Amino acid sequence: MSSILSEISNLFIPIILIGVIFYGIYKKAPVYDYFTAGAKDGLKTCIEMIPFIIAIFVGIEAVTVSGAMDFFQKLLGPFLEFIGLPRELTSIILLRPVSGSGSIVLAERLMRECGVDSLVGTSAGVMVGSCETVFYVLALYYGVTSVKKLRHALPSGIIGYIAGVLASVYLSYIMLIS
Amino acid sequence: MMNYLWAGMLIIGIIFSALNHNLSEFTDSLMASCTEAVQFMIGLAGIMAVWSGIMEIASRSGLINKLSELVMPFMRFLFPREHDKNTIALILMSFTANLFGAGNSATVFSLKAMERMDLQNGHSEIASNTMCMFTAVSMSMIQLVPVTILKIRGDLGAANPGSIIIPSILAGLISMAVSIAICKFFEWKEPHL
Repeated sequence: MSSILSEISNLFIPIILIGVIFYGIYKKAPVYDYFTAGAKDGLKTCIEMIPFIIAIFVGIEAVTVSGAMDFFQKLLGPFLEFIGLPRELTSIILLRPVSGSGSIVLAERLMRECGVDSLVGTSAGVMVGSCETVFYVLALYYGVTSVKKLRHALPSGIIGYIAGVLASVYLSYIMLIS
Repeated sequence: MMNYLWAGMLIIGIIFSALNHNLSEFTDSLMASCTEAVQFMIGLAGIMAVWSGIMEIASRSGLINKLSELVMPFMRFLFPREHDKNTIALILMSFTANLFGAGNSATVFSLKAMERMDLQNGHSEIASNTMCMFTAVSMSMIQLVPVTILKIRGDLGAANPGSIIIPSILAGLISMAVSIAICKFFEWKEPHL
């Protein structure tokens, strides 16, 4: 099952490339000229985005490196335990929304320390596989627009994220006892 | 909101690092993260250029029109006010790239889609329903094969590394359903935006 799925994933990009280029040639389009024109446009967008990306990286770094994250973890731990989630998951629940690479490193550590097939280890894996980097995505995506009022983009992301976390732990639990 | 969010992050960071007496370490990391941001964008620039080029071919040869018409009925539900074929195509590409774990490519499509939506929104300071729905779905998009996690689980000797795939997909779908429902509720309250 997983090998078939990963095979499909590997084929995704080549298939699109072949599809687009063959269609272009079939339509007798000057594919090379179009490609370079588009690439030029893409590079321009990239340059325009750099200031926003710097702002986001600096903001996220400030919160994670200062120890603020550790403080919030201590604050949230007892609450998580109260609603029935393992306390060990506090750090990854807080880090996942802001940092994709950071949460993967953390998931690896949790799996190693608590056991890869334990509830904590399994939940950490499922969480990284299913929950997105909510704040990072919001900051990045809206960074390229003129939007100042995010309206329901923030609550929908956060509540969806919480639902994802609860579902991850619950489904891991079901998977482990079955 | 972005102004307060960003300022808040920095202020919280400075206060906490002052309390923890690691202000010099804080400064170093902050400076390092600027460099990291530029490196990230330079890394993304190549992918951005390639996909923009490919999308340009697809757009001008008419492939995007065809593809968009095909997926329009599905997109109607999520984006009832989105009629632009290029935007629909970018949204579709972003979702599929995410689904197949092509993270960087997905970012590129998403950012281009957001730019177009911003243009259609008249560079308004208020996010449109389309933008909110797009980010909500992106933030809860599932990935068919979480490659990195599978590899870590394999390396650590999990009994069956792939066993988390189904729970991951289900958890992702639950999170997506919740996000979409919240967006739909706000859309129903403010349909004109």
